[in-house]
Amino acid sequence: MTQKKIGDVILDVKNISLSFGGVKALTDISFDVKEHEIRAIIGPNGAGKSSMLNCINGVYKPQEGSITFRGQTFRHMNSHQVALMGVARTFQNLALFKGMSVLDNIMSGRNLKIKSNLLLQALRIGPAQREEFAHREFVEHIIDFLEIQPFRKTPVGQLPYGLQKRVDLGRALAMEPAVLLLDEPMAGMNVEEKQDMCRFVLDVNDEFGTTIVLIEHDMGVVMDISDRVVVLDYGKKIGDGTPEEVRNNKEVISAYLGTSH
Amino acid sequence: MAFFLETVFGGLMAGMLYSLVALGFVLIFKASGVFNFAQGAMVLFAALAMARFSEWIPAWIGIDNKFLANALAFVVAALFMLAFAYLVERWVLRHLVNQEGVTLLMATLGITYFLDGLGQTIFGSAVYKIDVGMPKEPIFVFDTVFEGGLLVNKEDLIAALVAACLVMALSLFFQKTSTGRALRAVADDHQAAQSIGIPLNRMWVIVWFVAGLTALVAGIIWGSKIGVQFSLTTVALKALPVIILGGLTSVPGAIIGGLIIGVGEKVSEVYLGPMIGGGIELWFAYVLALVFLLFRPQGLFGEKIIDRV
Repeated sequence: MTQKKIGDVILDVKNISLSFGGVKALTDISFDVKEHEIRAIIGPNGAGKSSMLNCINGVYKPQEGSITFRGQTFRHMNSHQVALMGVARTFQNLALFKGMSVLDNIMSGRNLKIKSNLLLQALRIGPAQREEFAHREFVEHIIDFLEIQPFRKTPVGQLPYGLQKRVDLGRALAMEPAVLLLDEPMAGMNVEEKQDMCRFVLDVNDEFGTTIVLIEHDMGVVMDISDRVVVLDYGKKIGDGTPEEVRNNKEVISAYLGTSH
Repeated sequence: MAFFLETVFGGLMAGMLYSLVALGFVLIFKASGVFNFAQGAMVLFAALAMARFSEWIPAWIGIDNKFLANALAFVVAALFMLAFAYLVERWVLRHLVNQEGVTLLMATLGITYFLDGLGQTIFGSAVYKIDVGMPKEPIFVFDTVFEGGLLVNKEDLIAALVAACLVMALSLFFQKTSTGRALRAVADDHQAAQSIGIPLNRMWVIVWFVAGLTALVAGIIWGSKIGVQFSLTTVALKALPVIILGGLTSVPGAIIGGLIIGVGEKVSEVYLGPMIGGGIELWFAYVLALVFLLFRPQGLFGEKIIDRV
């Protein structure tokens, strides 16, 4: 692999606390994400990984803290705005548009970019037609990239799980995001599917320079592909650094393997 | 033979009107997963607005042109439906994001009663007429084939034409435009739709407004046939069996379901009625819907629901 160029901080999460009623999901979490890197968030079940992602994505509104994205600081994010600013995400439990074909699902990721007039679109004339073609071409490129060409017209509900995960990724890629949030992209996959997914993630990062924030369960995968890792446990940050550093962190080891008391 | 065909024609026309109301249900269900019980009330409300404003506007600004008065009344009624869509989103749906379907259904039940009351408070509760200048006189067709020809209502023909245009426009909107795609996306998964930057709130306003416009068109056609009155809402209830027949999520299903029920009830009324005492028209649609629920619960064109265990 060529030496990749890691840029400045693009996303800076500061002192985020989130609670649901009396349950504290996240306590005072801070970390940053640099441009073009693959940043992993790991931790045992219920550590607050998904909650963290949902805060960045604007699904949850944290009670405390701030999130800075490309120099702009927010108390909390708003889903629509986040998408406009160039953050895309995938879901742990698939959230695809089941009634639509693979193509339509991925096309829906281009929706924000379609600018032409509704009437022109409906009648497929002039600039609207050209615009539709341009987007379609981009989507075809993604379909090739993810190797799902044979399933273009298949309703996604009928695809096996591993392929649905790819479509989920494809929809996010269609947004041409600056930052891609992946919520357990390898969950529930067999070894081969995991390898494929790893390859896609690395290629996306490599080819498009997309910054990736990735939540993962599977320690092996994380250590192989990420540049830096944040470790959460019971909603608190217990480790942060390169995979090597994290692996040797005592607290991390005890969180994963338990401690003798 | 000619009499049979006339019966069928009559049924088709009535069915077309059921379809128009059913279309409103399907639109909202397709785009937001909400079973909108208030569609009937929306038809009445829109029709009332249309009927009253086409009387009031000429009186206020003193124009004599009937077409102009009707056009203005249509615009005003459409604006009313837009305001209604906005308020429903702002006060009801926004607070119910990601809730169960039943919760949303109950909310629309509430909207139904509210809208019924509000419409009659603002516009009055007498029987009003809408006159958009549809020709009333019957015409005779095929008089070379049948003796005396077939009697067809011109008004019905125009209504059918309008309905057909509406359906075509709607399917283009849903299938070919990015907004249509966004609406289908919202129907499938709220969260995922938000994640790709589809603003849920705006989408809901759009779809309720489109359903409102459909209600307005249905209201005008019904209203000019039987007058604008409270019983419109009960006629609109016939749309329920129609969508069970056609499938909750299918636009063509709503149309074909409406036609089947329209023809079915007319034909059975005329031919079976004398044998078992009549009144079949009143219950035919519901019995047919029951049969469908037993044997094909997803309807003719609905998506089959498969749950992975």
